[in-house]
Amino acid sequence: MGDEGNAQTPRRTTRASLSSTPNPSNSTGKLNLCNQQPLTIDDLAYGDESISFDDLISSLPGRRAQIIELLRILGPLDSPMFPVFVYGGASTGKTSSILQIFKHLKRPFVYCSCVTCYSPRILFESVLNQLLLHRRNESNRYLSVKRCEKPSDFVNLLQEALRNVVDSLKGNVVKSSSKKSMGRTRGEMVYLVFDNLELVREWDKGSNILSFMFKLYDILKMPEVGLIFLSNASPDTYYLDTGYVEPVPVYFPDYTEDELRQILMKNQENPKLYTSFLEVVLRPFCRVTRRVDELSTAFSPLYQIYYEPLDDLGIVPSGDVKRELFSHLQPHIGPSLNDTFRVENRLSSEASGKTNKWKGIAKKMGVSESSDEIDFHMSACAKYLLICAFLASKNPATLDASLFDSTGGFSNGKRKRKSSEKSKEKKETAEQDLLLKGPGTFPLERLLAIFQCIVSVSECLPDDEAQGDGGLEGESWTNGLLSHVLLELSSLCNANFISKGGSCPLEGANRYRSMVSEAMALKVARSLKFPLSKYLYRGG
Amino acid sequence: MYVTAFECLLSQPFFVLHKASKSSESSAVMSPGKPRKRRLDSSPKVSLNSESLKENLKMEVFPYVWSKIESNIKDVLRSINADVFDEIGRWVRESFNKICSCRGPVDPSKSTLPYPFVQNGGLVKKLFTALVFTKNIETVDDILTFSELGLNLKSHGCYVANISSLDFSTKNGIGGCLRAFLRQLLMVDIEAADVSLLASWYSDHGKYEKPVVVIIEDMERCSGALLSDFIKMLSEWSVKIPIILIAGVATSTDAPANVLTSRALQYLSTSMFFLKSPAERMDAIIEAVLVKNCAGFSVGHKVATFLRNYFLRQDGTVTSFVRALKMALVQQLSIEPLSFVLKILVDEGDNKRSWYEDLANLPEEVINHAFELPSYRTYSVNRNNHAELNAMSLDHGLSELQRLQDLWRSRLMCLHEAGRYHKVALLDLYLEALDPELYNSRLSNHGCDNAKDKSLLSDSDKLFRLQKAEVTNQVIRKIRDLPAAKLSQLLKSWEGLTRGTVEVHEKIMELQSQMVSGDVKSHKAELTDNSKRHINRHRLNMEKDACTSNDKAMTLAGQTIR
Repeated sequence: MGDEGNAQTPRRTTRASLSSTPNPSNSTGKLNLCNQQPLTIDDLAYGDESISFDDLISSLPGRRAQIIELLRILGPLDSPMFPVFVYGGASTGKTSSILQIFKHLKRPFVYCSCVTCYSPRILFESVLNQLLLHRRNESNRYLSVKRCEKPSDFVNLLQEALRNVVDSLKGNVVKSSSKKSMGRTRGEMVYLVFDNLELVREWDKGSNILSFMFKLYDILKMPEVGLIFLSNASPDTYYLDTGYVEPVPVYFPDYTEDELRQILMKNQENPKLYTSFLEVVLRPFCRVTRRVDELSTAFSPLYQIYYEPLDDLGIVPSGDVKRELFSHLQPHIGPSLNDTFRVENRLSSEASGKTNKWKGIAKKMGVSESSDEIDFHMSACAKYLLICAFLASKNPATLDASLFDSTGGFSNGKRKRKSSEKSKEKKETAEQDLLLKGPGTFPLERLLAIFQCIVSVSECLPDDEAQGDGGLEGESWTNGLLSHVLLELSSLCNANFISKGGSCPLEGANRYRSMVSEAMALKVARSLKFPLSKYLYRGG
Repeated sequence: MYVTAFECLLSQPFFVLHKASKSSESSAVMSPGKPRKRRLDSSPKVSLNSESLKENLKMEVFPYVWSKIESNIKDVLRSINADVFDEIGRWVRESFNKICSCRGPVDPSKSTLPYPFVQNGGLVKKLFTALVFTKNIETVDDILTFSELGLNLKSHGCYVANISSLDFSTKNGIGGCLRAFLRQLLMVDIEAADVSLLASWYSDHGKYEKPVVVIIEDMERCSGALLSDFIKMLSEWSVKIPIILIAGVATSTDAPANVLTSRALQYLSTSMFFLKSPAERMDAIIEAVLVKNCAGFSVGHKVATFLRNYFLRQDGTVTSFVRALKMALVQQLSIEPLSFVLKILVDEGDNKRSWYEDLANLPEEVINHAFELPSYRTYSVNRNNHAELNAMSLDHGLSELQRLQDLWRSRLMCLHEAGRYHKVALLDLYLEALDPELYNSRLSNHGCDNAKDKSLLSDSDKLFRLQKAEVTNQVIRKIRDLPAAKLSQLLKSWEGLTRGTVEVHEKIMELQSQMVSGDVKSHKAELTDNSKRHINRHRLNMEKDACTSNDKAMTLAGQTIR
């Protein structure tokens, strides 16, 4: 947050725009005026009207204990506090709880997320900008108030800035007590909130910055400053030297099923219908994930399917209707349990949009419906290369000679050996090994050799797609077009079909690895009429 | 059929390009601008003076003709994407409205707050995302497409930033990509870039009526980690800034899941859009440039074969096809003695004025030279034709050629229309229509006038060649299977296509009226019967039609072979 952003208008204006039914043109008209007004100390507090304690609890179902704990640590007005370390899994309400608490308390705070502030410099400057009420905009060429890269500079600047803020907060308090108008901020404390702290570990010199931030409380020695850290990872995962005041940990556990139900039930138009829907889906999904964001993305399309057969959405479903709806929904639950990513197909022109919507899922589940063709263009050369890479990754290199000999297939003589129990077992373990190892790597030379073999074989095939005169094509395939093959290879790499690994320390050359699934490779082979399965080594 | 000498001369492109196809292949290596040595060994010697004169003429012609062709291709590509662009534009609007309704009343104080947007106690972190499938693993063609899309959205009131995979390189890190992104919108280069600047910029000037669209051109090529970080970052500011993401995907729907982290995927609420496939684009270009006579010249069968194979097997981009076309034009100009008339041909456009003036402006020497060319000599000897040798007759010949070519084109397009129901590529049809061998075999097969050709072909030869006409025959055969509704649709489109040429047009009109009356008369019971009859009749007609069209095509090609 480089800018502290608050284009926040002083209190009276904000109130006016909130209370009167807001009229966009009106407020944009005001806007220019507002922007020119300097930020005040009031802007450090939450902008909206405050909420009562009951509202606070009810807005965050299932987080009552944590909120009370946090409020206890924050303490009454103007009481110093130890640093707090709030942690818990993703999407367990950490950030929203803190924000809602500050909305309730109306105390001034500074918020920095380590996602947006992706480097120490931006983090430091963002804190300073907010404290010094500086707004980065066109007039100052988007510059921060002070350039600050080193922690030592940051400490000095921070102390200065904090002192200013605290002083003016104190002035505020005096003023508000003398006059009757209450200031928007309460108290003389200022809180620094650092969100997504776990990301700092991945920064350059992240551990230095981290230990610096944990020590900040000791370094600053200002009782008027409260530090709050939010993190996905537990404090144990921060390997730090000691020698600072340990922050107070507050754990946000995953939601239980009931809590999830309460959260998901909020703001539903037809609570009865949604309850019956949740009865069906919540339990199976809870076994997979308890993250609210994941659940709500998974549920919204399912709910659409659920109420699809209904004409009237205001209906209160009875037992029969529920059963009917359930049987309608049931086939969709299984697939979407495994689905992490949903794509909505948007073809407004076609009525078939609904069926298409589920194609992505069906594909993932291997329910191959009409997905026999690859739906994007690849030149034949690229297709052959893809197949070659797939073969090179799947087959052991020692087998190449026998697969691609002059006869073009393998001799069946060897395979007739009788398989005893033991060899069967061996075969199974070998298969498993192959599966665990994943696709193998191969050098470029091997890929090109296989390419050459395959292309020459497929040219011999009588049913080649070639229609034009052979002279031209024969030439273009075999001779002199190696540069094209390499170009195609690079574009395959770019499309993530083949990955280029690091160079092998012994050979010094780059090694490649095929990233396509077998289904995809088969699809490609089918489009070329290439007998892929004939060349595939199945282990054993 | 009366054919003037000039047709022969002008249809020489077929001939020359046939011969030159091999070298056009190798010209990929050579510098394209190099003038070649003339290959027509029998061409009469001309004075140096007129040679250089013609060289000059040709040099003038090339940039002119090429710019015409190029702008034509651009138009075609633009119009082919117009539908999808509109669709995307509509989706952007809808998404923006959704964001607005979520954001509630415009409140400048909210959009620059450093903390995420809270709604009902929960954070809102969804990003509306469009996945635009380009259907080609090569991304060269789509650079233009996405910049066009950006312009299109800009003109519809969006702030647009185009980011390519180059900005998402691990070397520059997330900072580099943010800088590239902000530079486009804020118009300043910022050292320490972060998204909050975008927020303050957005709220600064009351830009609340417009969404911010971020176009990522090729998702697969981006570094996945960086792109995920970028998406995470944007999602922290979602709602406060109405950011809408458009990502180009070259391969399949799995691609985003392969590239991005699951966390980042969670933030996307995606919709899919499909661009036209490269084959469709190719067809459109061929139709516009080669078939609709924008180029003023045609390519021979071998060149077409080469282009097709290169497209299908090696490269698969429209870009390289366009480049090859350019080379063909250079070849044509450097080898063809009469190629300077291209300018006149191309110039024609809408106003169908006489070429005579233009031709008369040419120096006499050049025109005289035209009549000394060997192909005209053989022609006039064959026909005992003694036309007056001046610009007038040249003009006459040109327009006659034009007429015939139009005829040929309209028939090819008819076939293409018919083939459209079975997804037959125009490229294939074009290829077969150009094939001189096919022409000969068909001539002999249908027992048309040219007796001498017939005698040349053995039976086995015939069989072999007939097999090769697969695509065309297939299309004709499949017309029989078309349902009545589609057939009438097809006839309607034919009617439009053949408007210029009287005979065929009449036939089609007749057929159409038959269909209509047949439909009215036939009761439900006899419906199938009736329509079958019509279709059969139609098929006969069609075969005749195809035959004539092929005839025409072949006569042209045939002239050149002789």
